[in-house]
Amino acid sequence: MADTASSTAAPVPSPLVRAAARNWSALFLILLFVAFGFAAPNFLSIQNIQSVVHLQTVPFLLAASETFVIITGGIDLSIGFVMGLCSVSAAEIVQLLAAKGLSGGTAVALASIAVLLLSLLPGLVNGVVITRFKVPPFIATLGMWGMANGLALKLCDGFPVAGLPDFLPRLGNGYLFYALPGNFVSLFDKPAGFPDARIRELWRLIPFSLPFIVAVLGFLAFRLSRTPFGRHTYAIGGSMDAAVRSGIDVDRHLVKVYVLSSFLAGVGGVFNVFQTGIGNYTTFNASYEFFAIAAVVIGGASLSGGKGRIFGSAVGVLVLAFLENGLDISGVQPFYRYIAVGVLLVVAVVIDKLFPDLL
Amino acid sequence: MKKSPVFLAILMIALVALPGFSQAKIKVLFMPGVTDPFYFTMEKGIRAAAAKAGVDLTVAEYPKAWGPEYQIPILQAAVARQKPDLLLIAPTSTDALKAPLKAIYDGGTEIITVDTFLGDGDYSKPSDYSFPLSYIGSDNELGGKQMAEHLAKLVGETGKVFCEATNPDTSSVQGRVKGFTAGVAEYPNMTLVGVEWCLDVQQKAQEQTLAALQKNKDIVGIFGTNVFSAQGAYQAVVNAGLTGAVKICSWDATKDLIGALKKGQVDLVLAQKPGEMGSLAVDWGVKYLKDKKNVKVPKKVIPGFEFFTRDNVDDPSMQQFIYQ
Repeated sequence: MADTASSTAAPVPSPLVRAAARNWSALFLILLFVAFGFAAPNFLSIQNIQSVVHLQTVPFLLAASETFVIITGGIDLSIGFVMGLCSVSAAEIVQLLAAKGLSGGTAVALASIAVLLLSLLPGLVNGVVITRFKVPPFIATLGMWGMANGLALKLCDGFPVAGLPDFLPRLGNGYLFYALPGNFVSLFDKPAGFPDARIRELWRLIPFSLPFIVAVLGFLAFRLSRTPFGRHTYAIGGSMDAAVRSGIDVDRHLVKVYVLSSFLAGVGGVFNVFQTGIGNYTTFNASYEFFAIAAVVIGGASLSGGKGRIFGSAVGVLVLAFLENGLDISGVQPFYRYIAVGVLLVVAVVIDKLFPDLL
Repeated sequence: MKKSPVFLAILMIALVALPGFSQAKIKVLFMPGVTDPFYFTMEKGIRAAAAKAGVDLTVAEYPKAWGPEYQIPILQAAVARQKPDLLLIAPTSTDALKAPLKAIYDGGTEIITVDTFLGDGDYSKPSDYSFPLSYIGSDNELGGKQMAEHLAKLVGETGKVFCEATNPDTSSVQGRVKGFTAGVAEYPNMTLVGVEWCLDVQQKAQEQTLAALQKNKDIVGIFGTNVFSAQGAYQAVVNAGLTGAVKICSWDATKDLIGALKKGQVDLVLAQKPGEMGSLAVDWGVKYLKDKKNVKVPKKVIPGFEFFTRDNVDDPSMQQFIYQ
């Protein structure tokens, strides 16, 4: 990897400096918290932090899929629309099954499984096109980007797919604990008959999405850093030739990485149905894939491959989300917020280029 | 007398062909603004009216995103292919569409703008954008104002309200926000604490609404100015567990928003009449083309609104206003 190769020239920096440099985005995140803690009222409230993290569940999944792909030196532009395609398909299948007389729970379970299986396909196509026909990943996945978008719109006729069982958004937006300080704690749902007028006094702690995403990201981080699958991923991104010489079946591995990428987008699509209670096609200017790539880069990955971590990418997602949220709560106009995100992205890459020895 | 077969043949050809020549079918082109339920519903109204009037209708490709940079190339290709007599278009910018539409108009195509307009939408006084036959769409400013009145009633005319909007450069959205702002200002105990722009991305609308609910913990009402902003706003309120405590008014009656109204997640849904806008546009355009001298098309045709509440949402007479 890059850091071992170039560290001979300059004096070796202390481990502390190296750790700080490696995790500059995490430090930046802490800085954001301090700054907005003063500037933005209620920014540091537990409700705000929970809401922001909860709403980033899909971006977390997309950034994770982009992390694997970017480490191999590739890119996957299709994940945003694959996510929307999976969201719409899941909702359509639930409707179909419910019309056949299945109960809501069974319909949702079957639809989720079907869509997760279906979500392997775009990645398989991407992987085969990239490895067998040597199409650059940018173009191959740009093709899938268009196909997934068109297919999703065709499936739903341009309407969000509504009329799904009520329990979906309740589950997707549920919290583990509901508490009225000093009075009671209830599990999984607010107590029956709790009056709407007093709802603001209710504390809600730990959204269901939190243990879910922590488990998924933890598992992926483990795969990436501790298993042969992860080592091969880094090896391919570090040097394709070296990877081939050391006996890695590069083509096969790349196909697996692209399949994993679209599978995670599929998980995002299914989660999206739980979160919103409807099947959403991805709107054209949502640009999920670009924000995922931005998060991965801010998290310390390099677009030329060989570098990147799940933890870093997750921090990247949080940096983007809390930056927007904090600026918003401090009352900064929306248009300046887009500028801030743009500047941050460029700064991230500049840091990467300026201090290659440290990172 | 022996009729010559040649004469007979000519007579027959003339009989078959003449009606075709004498009444060449009027060619109508519909150019929607963006891929969304509103324009699909409008297309249905246009198709029905076109079939009834016996005109030749083409529907241009739906732009994937809102904006002149997406719409103009599709428009120009479609016009070049079809050379329509009548163009029904929802311009995606009040300014950027002036020049391209003027060029099409100068090429001999009559234009009616539907849903959105050029300039300030007043085609009755001479200007560089007064060439369209008519604007047929909602009075968005009036709608925004009525929305403020309804929301005021829902929250007891007191408290902070918030507006989640979409694209700041679009006439219809500008009108809604302007009308809503003016409407809220008429209630001394109500304040509009913010306007956010989600650019038609639901996830963004959700994030922005949640941030607004953090900034002002005591927001009591939210106005979502279109499908995506309203869906994002009500879902944010569901996310925040504030259903019931924060009243939601939404613009555009999609099935999802109507479903949310029934479930108590949304409290008021304004339905525009996209189908009626479409059919009115065809009717007026065709009437004019058939008799240019005598038909005077009103420069502005406003089909009005319907308001869905939990009390009338199940009325059979209201069902026709749901977009599908």
